[in-house]
Amino acid sequence: MKKLLLLLCLWFSANAAYCQMNKVEFEEYDLDNGLHVILHQDKSTPIVAVSIMYHVGSKNEQPDKTGFAHFFEHLLFEGSANIERGEYDKYVEKAGGTLNANTSFDRTYYFEILPSNQLELGLWLESERLLHAVVNDKGIETQREVVKEERRQRVDNQPYGSILEESMKRAFTKHPYKWPIIGSMDHLDAAVEADYKNFYKDFYVPNNAVLSIAGDLDFDQAKEWIDKYFGQIPRGTKEIYRPSIVEPPLAAEVRDTVYDNIQLPAVVQVYRIPAQGTPDFYAVSMLGTLLAQGESSRLQKAIVDEKQKALFVGNFPLNMEDPGVAIAFGIANMGVPVNEVEDAIDEEIERSRNELISDQEFQKLRNQVENDFISRNARVAGIAESLANYHMYYGEVNLINTELERYLSVTKEDIMRVAKKYYHKDNRVVLHYLPKETQL
Amino acid sequence: MKNILYIICLLTLASACNKTNADKLVDATTKSVTDAVDPALAWRSAAPQPGEARPIQLGESTSFELDNGLKVIVVENHKLPRVSYQLSLNHEAIAEGDKAGYLNIAGDLMKTGTSSKSKAEIDEAIDFIGASLSTSARGMFGSSLTKHQDKLLALYSDILYNPSFKEEEFEKLKKQVLSGIASSKTDPNSMASNVASVLNFGANHPYGEVETESTIENIKVEDCKNYYESYYKPNNAYLVVVGDITPVMAKAKVEKYFSSWKRAKVPEMKYRATSPPDETKVSVVNKDGAVQSVIRVTYPLNITLASEDLMAARVMNSVLGGGIFSGRLMQNLREDKAYTYGARSNINPNPLVGSFGAFASVRNEVTDSSVQEFMYELNRMVTTDVSQEDLDLVKSSMSGGFARSLESPQTLARFARNISKYNLPIDYYETYLKRLQAVTVQDVRAAAEKYIKPNNANIVVVGSKDDIAEKLVRFDADGKLDYYDAFGNEVKYDEMPLSDDITAQSVLGDYIAAIGGMDKCKAIKSMHTVSEFEVMGQNAKMDLYQEAPNKMAMKMMMGEMMVQEQVFDGTKLKAGAMGQNKVSTEGDEFDSAKDNATMFPQMYYSEMGYKAELKGTENIDGASAYKLMIESSTGKKKTQFYDVKTSLLLREVQSSEGPQGPMTITNDFADYKEVGGVLIPHTITLSGAMPVPLKMQLSNVEINKPVPAGTFNIE
Repeated sequence: MKKLLLLLCLWFSANAAYCQMNKVEFEEYDLDNGLHVILHQDKSTPIVAVSIMYHVGSKNEQPDKTGFAHFFEHLLFEGSANIERGEYDKYVEKAGGTLNANTSFDRTYYFEILPSNQLELGLWLESERLLHAVVNDKGIETQREVVKEERRQRVDNQPYGSILEESMKRAFTKHPYKWPIIGSMDHLDAAVEADYKNFYKDFYVPNNAVLSIAGDLDFDQAKEWIDKYFGQIPRGTKEIYRPSIVEPPLAAEVRDTVYDNIQLPAVVQVYRIPAQGTPDFYAVSMLGTLLAQGESSRLQKAIVDEKQKALFVGNFPLNMEDPGVAIAFGIANMGVPVNEVEDAIDEEIERSRNELISDQEFQKLRNQVENDFISRNARVAGIAESLANYHMYYGEVNLINTELERYLSVTKEDIMRVAKKYYHKDNRVVLHYLPKETQL
Repeated sequence: MKNILYIICLLTLASACNKTNADKLVDATTKSVTDAVDPALAWRSAAPQPGEARPIQLGESTSFELDNGLKVIVVENHKLPRVSYQLSLNHEAIAEGDKAGYLNIAGDLMKTGTSSKSKAEIDEAIDFIGASLSTSARGMFGSSLTKHQDKLLALYSDILYNPSFKEEEFEKLKKQVLSGIASSKTDPNSMASNVASVLNFGANHPYGEVETESTIENIKVEDCKNYYESYYKPNNAYLVVVGDITPVMAKAKVEKYFSSWKRAKVPEMKYRATSPPDETKVSVVNKDGAVQSVIRVTYPLNITLASEDLMAARVMNSVLGGGIFSGRLMQNLREDKAYTYGARSNINPNPLVGSFGAFASVRNEVTDSSVQEFMYELNRMVTTDVSQEDLDLVKSSMSGGFARSLESPQTLARFARNISKYNLPIDYYETYLKRLQAVTVQDVRAAAEKYIKPNNANIVVVGSKDDIAEKLVRFDADGKLDYYDAFGNEVKYDEMPLSDDITAQSVLGDYIAAIGGMDKCKAIKSMHTVSEFEVMGQNAKMDLYQEAPNKMAMKMMMGEMMVQEQVFDGTKLKAGAMGQNKVSTEGDEFDSAKDNATMFPQMYYSEMGYKAELKGTENIDGASAYKLMIESSTGKKKTQFYDVKTSLLLREVQSSEGPQGPMTITNDFADYKEVGGVLIPHTITLSGAMPVPLKMQLSNVEINKPVPAGTFNIE
């Protein structure tokens, strides 16, 4: 759990050939059908991570068919023309491996981590999933209910579990980021066979995927097998739907109250920010570090420690392919009105908008970013995913080694400028989370 | 705090997908999401065979001991230019009694100041080098880029030797902990953990102690300081150094920063062993408005890393509830029945006392069915042999997991520490895979018979009591559920046995008698009441006319502004806010208005087709009360509580659909006073609809005065 958090929260820092960092070597190429392949060798442990990232997330869905990307992620463990229901993961477990998948607004990611002598099995499994997945009624019915339980467990029954959903639906009115990744249960209930076929045909094609493999592998052997299992898979013929919807500016602050099964009120501020990879995004990320990373960060120090208004404060710029959001939030200490937490957050944000940070503080930010960047790539599974990300979103895999330079080219002036530009009232949604009832 | 961080992780919905038993497959309606399979692809039909496996090598670690007794383990790994120093204290656990939580505060407090540095200075210094450094009751952890390690170690050792335990920082931490406790009151997993700990280990065992507001209030800064002074000693600690450092360099660093730490005798504690319950009991923790129930089937076990049959027990647990998706619990409750997103189990070896736990979150309606499946799977483990095929799968899966864990150099360090700390055979981990392969079907069955105890389990369920409790009785050996609050304190709902002559009808009849009797109630033909209350700092009032048999007109005013009105003329409802009205003859709002239009509706429940059922007694704010479930002719349910002594209605609870999903609204009636021969509650407190309860005071009541013409008109 914590690890996942770290991964996500520090997602915005990346990876480069700075100081003594070990360079991540890789090879990449395209098959004729458009499948992009990235290989990285690391023989220190006899394991290999096999992954495919499909460039389809909730934002590629139609407004009346939300939740499909994530639902597909469940369905595509159901089997294939050659793999019966219930067997997909058994192959992996029998081989001594592990597997899983996850879905974001922008992509769906599947992976296996296997003993390195089972690389061919991993390639067969992933190619089966891409070539001819099979789903039966029992599978659809079961996964539909499982997804509903997933929603209850993660959102409905979880204190503050609806923050992302409540934030996005107000921060966006047109762009598909406005609906939750898990989607509408009604839409899933209403889906028919043709919907599944179409979604699969549209998005599960080699020219919409990145096959990324890292670990104990021999490049020549791997290439031969990749060609064998993926070479014959036909390229998709349709143009892949990528929404070109541009979300208009918010124009004015949106304010609302959400009643939840919680004990301590919370304030959530959602600022609209530019897409990942843009120069301003790096500056916004550094601003996020300034505000909330580490106990000496401004929000932590002022609000949690000195004023003791909040139990927790955070600020998370989310990495998103299209312009997205940074979410700042604070959970009030017992007996502290939520307005006071909000005022305290506003005060610190105001300061970052109006005062240039000191050289000392700026150096601290750079050291933090460097540390985070260099500390990634500890595991082959993480490396496989990073490589795929850099290709899919940035078209430049070598950023795994060099992206740090982009952070380090951000100036103090940039940080103040982006604070002014994005962290202002007319560009935000503010939610007050209040307890449904105060009893016992 | 975990749940707070959780939301951020929702950005990617990590999922888990998988399916079911092969024998249940082959569905006639199988359809491909692609078109027909191409015969030219027939070569693909069989899974490829593995190549030759590379041997799994553990790698090396180096150990040494300083003169002061500090045991040091070094694992060299240059993959990343980082190094970490983990200090862990050796003693097992300490009972905290009525100060539960002081050890954690002591641990956190260490980092909040030294004799020469303030908290702000320490935080700044750590962040400045991009390092992380944390302290806890169990030890310290620091890690940084290799180039910053001297700065890190200087801070680390300053904190280790000179923590200042300032009162001011102590008070701050206490406040944070209290807020965290408040926040955990609604977290179903914290609630389940607390109650499971108390039940498994007993409130007087260190593992059974739960932090509450009162135990935190009892803590003094001296308690924390005493703990540090007694236990933070080199002869009571391991230091594990991992990363971009040679053993020689590590030794030099350790000697420089840790050899001046002074040895001292550390107190030793002994705790009695705890045992599983004599028979299976079900314990329910109520969480109002819950949409899922958190289920745990758990009990204490005597099992340690040194137990001969630990490997067999782990394999057995893996068959039951381990693996990715292959565990029986996952297959049954998720892939076959779709009751849950995930169901698993674990066996935790521990030198004091270990435990078994099986767990899932399931939707309310299938809570009892899920418990049934848990018990079915536990029993199946004990009464039947695992198949060789399933056993082989689990062994492969566990071997693979072992190999993957070796990717992290921390694993190797943990192995070395466990061997030393628990006196395990020196080749304990080197023989791990061999011992795993040797586990037989008979070993698994024997481990199940010894460690799986469906008849001696605590079944803890956190959820909406009224929706789930009744159906759980059958799993409880003595047929009596126990109720607990979020912190594992027992709660009494069922106070006394009901005698046979108490029925729902008698309770309702006694209520009518108590407020004045049928005749007096019926003599009231019309009633006009004005109630005043405060909402969001403003004064508001409710003006209500009722006329027999069933007319009603209600206006809600804030200041001079009418914010809401409802008129029910006996057949139709006009309702709306701020002048936007809608007329209806059905729906939830219609039903509830119809209900409210009748004065003293209890007299007419049977005429109106309402069903009333007596559900026992419960304690309502200190008064014992009969609990009645009332179901309207349209199937809408509410719960009423009537005081056993006075027969008066004390509380009414109803669920309704709010803008943010279902909400539970509670009305408390108090301050009954006689008006026109009938007792009318003069204070009604409404909670659940707003963050703060609404307290409505009756300021004016008129009985049988002419109602102004047109009051009940719906044009």
